[in-house]
Amino acid sequence: VNNEQVVSALLNVYPLIVPEAVLLVGACVLFLGGTFRPGRSLWGAAALVTLAAAGVALWFSPQSPVAPTETRVALFASPLYVDRLAVLIKAVALVGGAVLVLCSWNEVPDRWAAEFHACLLILLAGICLTGSANELVTLFVSLELVSIPTYVLLYLPRYDNPAQEAAMKYFLLSVFSSALLLFGFSYLYGMAGTTNLPALAEVLDRSRSTALPGVALIGLVMVVAGLGFRITAVPFHFYAPDVYQGTTPSAAALLAFVPKVAGFVALLRVLGFVPHEIVTTRGTELLEATGVVPTMVLGAQVPHLLWILATVTMTLGNVLGLLQDNIKRMLAYSSVANAGYMLIGLVVARFQPAGSGASYPGGVEAILFYLVAYGAMTVGAFAVLGCLSTPQRPVEKIDDLAGLSRTHPGLALLMVLFLFSLIGLPATAGFVGKLLLFWGAMAVEPNAMDALWFRMLALIGVLNAAIAAWYYLRVAVVMYLRNPLRPLDKVHAWPGLTAVSLCAALTLVAGLYPASLLVPIQQAMPRASSAATLSAVPQPAQANAR
Amino acid sequence: MPTLLLLMLVLPLAGAVAAAALGPSRGEAVRWTSLLATVASLVLALVLAVNFASLPRPEGKRTFLPEFVPGAPGLIPDAQGAVTKTREDPHATSWDLLPLGRGAIQFYVGIDGLNVWLLVLTALLMVSSVLVSWTSVTERVNEYYAWLLALGTGMLGVFLAFDVVLFYVFFELTLVPLFFLIGIWGGPQRQHAARKFFIYTLTGSLITLLGVLAIVLVCYERSKDWTDNVGELTFSMPRLVEMVQTIRQGMGRMNAQELALWLNIQRWIFLALMAGFAIKVPLVPLHTWLPLAHVEAPTAGSVLLAGVLLKIGAYGFLRFCLPLVPDASVSLGAPLIGTLAVIGIIYGAFCALSQDDIKKLVAYSSVSHLGFCMLGMFALTAAGLTGSLLQMINHGLSTGALFLLVGMLYERYHTRKMADYGGIAARLKLLGFFMVFICLTSVGLPGLNGFVGEVLVLMGAYDLQMSQGQFPLLAAVAVTGIVLGAWYLLTMLRRVFFGPVKEPRVEGHGTVADLNLRELAALLPIAAACVALGVYPQPVLDASRRDLQVVADIVGTASGMQGAAAPAEHVEQVAEEVRR
Repeated sequence: VNNEQVVSALLNVYPLIVPEAVLLVGACVLFLGGTFRPGRSLWGAAALVTLAAAGVALWFSPQSPVAPTETRVALFASPLYVDRLAVLIKAVALVGGAVLVLCSWNEVPDRWAAEFHACLLILLAGICLTGSANELVTLFVSLELVSIPTYVLLYLPRYDNPAQEAAMKYFLLSVFSSALLLFGFSYLYGMAGTTNLPALAEVLDRSRSTALPGVALIGLVMVVAGLGFRITAVPFHFYAPDVYQGTTPSAAALLAFVPKVAGFVALLRVLGFVPHEIVTTRGTELLEATGVVPTMVLGAQVPHLLWILATVTMTLGNVLGLLQDNIKRMLAYSSVANAGYMLIGLVVARFQPAGSGASYPGGVEAILFYLVAYGAMTVGAFAVLGCLSTPQRPVEKIDDLAGLSRTHPGLALLMVLFLFSLIGLPATAGFVGKLLLFWGAMAVEPNAMDALWFRMLALIGVLNAAIAAWYYLRVAVVMYLRNPLRPLDKVHAWPGLTAVSLCAALTLVAGLYPASLLVPIQQAMPRASSAATLSAVPQPAQANAR
Repeated sequence: MPTLLLLMLVLPLAGAVAAAALGPSRGEAVRWTSLLATVASLVLALVLAVNFASLPRPEGKRTFLPEFVPGAPGLIPDAQGAVTKTREDPHATSWDLLPLGRGAIQFYVGIDGLNVWLLVLTALLMVSSVLVSWTSVTERVNEYYAWLLALGTGMLGVFLAFDVVLFYVFFELTLVPLFFLIGIWGGPQRQHAARKFFIYTLTGSLITLLGVLAIVLVCYERSKDWTDNVGELTFSMPRLVEMVQTIRQGMGRMNAQELALWLNIQRWIFLALMAGFAIKVPLVPLHTWLPLAHVEAPTAGSVLLAGVLLKIGAYGFLRFCLPLVPDASVSLGAPLIGTLAVIGIIYGAFCALSQDDIKKLVAYSSVSHLGFCMLGMFALTAAGLTGSLLQMINHGLSTGALFLLVGMLYERYHTRKMADYGGIAARLKLLGFFMVFICLTSVGLPGLNGFVGEVLVLMGAYDLQMSQGQFPLLAAVAVTGIVLGAWYLLTMLRRVFFGPVKEPRVEGHGTVADLNLRELAALLPIAAACVALGVYPQPVLDASRRDLQVVADIVGTASGMQGAAAPAEHVEQVAEEVRR
């Protein structure tokens, strides 16, 4: 790759960030406009319009490589690489963002509405960038673009002491985790001499061996730790219950969903779970057969680390979830546990049988499916709480929901739908997500090392799902089997109800006809024509040969 | 016919939606809608069963062959990939739910000999459940019937499913309605009972799901041997059964290590599958949820729980364990489950004997009777399997009717303590008559249904151990279970229905009347079915014979395999037998 090619690749970045640019321009308009006129409806609507505009921009914006040059240049020189997966993540971010705008519509004070929604838009731009980041520094900047507006978001809707404590806690721990992440990135850079992700993968692939070099291992451990904060993996989960409890339901929904998307996407990209296709063409003439940039070799240690992380995260999350009386704390631990389930997909992503081509969805697809499903059910549950809470009468304890089926039959039914989806009962998105994750764990290459351990992970996963059922069911019991204590007010807020309905529709559609969601996800994954490069762990013979 | 089958499955669900939509204030409309939906479903089930029984069933193929499958026949992906599919697949349908690479989870439902009578039983008990709840449920009527009817669809779906994951989906979907039925309309401890029932079953069934995934994946991996390393990924139960047969044919060529591995895999899968089914049956150490759930559930809930839902566990063993992991079923299942079943028979009977609560007595009698069912099944002979299937239906009818009667009695006097009653037969003649009659069917009086099943089960259990040159201990102990069964049921009859009249005080209710027309309508069909099955069970047995024979043949080839240590020449011989 020569310098001219690098320059052209850098210049070609601009068409790729049109959707993000639209979001940022919209955010600026909101920041400025908010100083002239307050009003939640006005600025909420403006945020929705911006999101729609970004969606249109996304539809028309090009994918990498922009110029009909070689893919290789775009891949190894450009800071951003918009493949189909990036487009998918941007789409998820925009739809999720619209739901979050609707959720928070009535919760933000009129005075702060513009700022709140503007921060939300910036944060979504950050997610979009994370999806397409092709380089460590860009990735770090995108993640910060997600984090910084979050601090403001936590302050804006409520300013009592618990809310301030929550925001402060989140701020400090988030900064700490960013530092860890940067530390890890620096080691990776120091070892590989490049910040470009595919190049990094190639460097690590070149030194293929079952044991990673120590430097790389330190770097990867730090990266996993830094991102573990965002996905609330144990032991980086401490902030979650306190922060969720201290803030409003919609902000909690945002915290439960958005950082997880960012964290998992970043993990998938940095650890090289998503290979890139290389199609080298000149004009229409195919110069190089489609190949796939090899994914990074993680050695034996990183999967083991992730195994431990997954097990501890889901088990601790669920066991502590059993003890909660506060519904937001309970959902916080549920979010921890769900991160654990998704980590199963990360553990086994490398060990899917090779040679079967696109034979069945593996760990990565399962994670992506579960992220969307999890988003729908968790945001939905928080949105129900948001609909029911009023500043005078916040829903805090699980007991506050007593007899909800009598006073608000519709909302109670939808809440039960979300809870059952979180349990993983069939006909909901949560079931299909769990099925895919467990399928991935069961379908590991039988000859892979530690195949038995991965199957054990599936067993631990289902036992956890059974434990979790106990506390989710408790909410259902309170809502349906008990009499109302102090009836909650009637709900008239259409934006909140719209958000709840959207989440419910997604939960049901993805549960009853999962192909509708799984097929786009599978299409977003690079097709591996030469499956050998996707091969999980190097065969011992191969490793020796090298 | 496939349309009728779908209609039978969907009608209760449609009724549920309609009932929920009608609102709590229009109780009468809700009740009649539910009755209409369930009766229509029953009629369809009968039509389908009669049609099925008159079908010529192909012999020879060693797998299940469901009839009346909705959708076009599925297509087999050719060797190169999933893109073009040309050949028709006799073991699949075109209705994909979730494509997974080369295979797909499908909406594959149908009727064969194993499920046909269980479907009729389910549809019949649904009608009775609706009738018996007519006046006893007055609170949140629309919700009640909606959950009840949704449960009906779930139960029919479990029996109809021929896709392994679809089976699991329906299996779990039966939990939700019953959870609400017990939790909202149950007795004083309803919340605890509902949660215990839910968690217990969920835990087991999740492990079962892993077993199901494991069998699919094992077949996929091993199928690479005969598909040019492409592999065949299928979730179709009949196809999986065939594939397991093909793998077992290759057992003769395996060396000792491979054989041990294969048998070991089977053993683990068997244990995983067993986790869910054994809880559902329930086998004895795992039965603790049952008395609580039965006692706390409203009458209709108990009827369906005992009549249908417990059968799902036994049916799961029959449909999954025996044909899919036959070697483990023989080497591990027969001794383990046979023993647990016999312990269950005796333990359940003694527990029933010591109860003062009539409903609890009936609940424990279920543990005992299901023990018979499992004993027959794991006798692994055609006679035992037939007896087991018959015992499932018998128990559904008898125990379902017993719960109906207990519910009717409770509705009149608001107590279930035997000590409060005496000589009721003199007071309520019809109710007394039906109670005596149903108790006799349950005890196994010759000429009534219970007798046929029990004899077949005992014959099977006797054969099993005699053929191995052992003393038929299991059958001998099980026989005492029958005696105990007669003891506790007749004791209950004597205390409650005969002797000096002693009526519980009725507070705030009108005079106690005998059975009315609605209650008779709920009971009569069941009683008629009991007599019919006792006098002339042949048509029922004929319709199921072919598929039971398939299962018996499959486990028959595995019989005598004593775990991994089986001598090689014996394996060769077994493989030879499979080939024939």
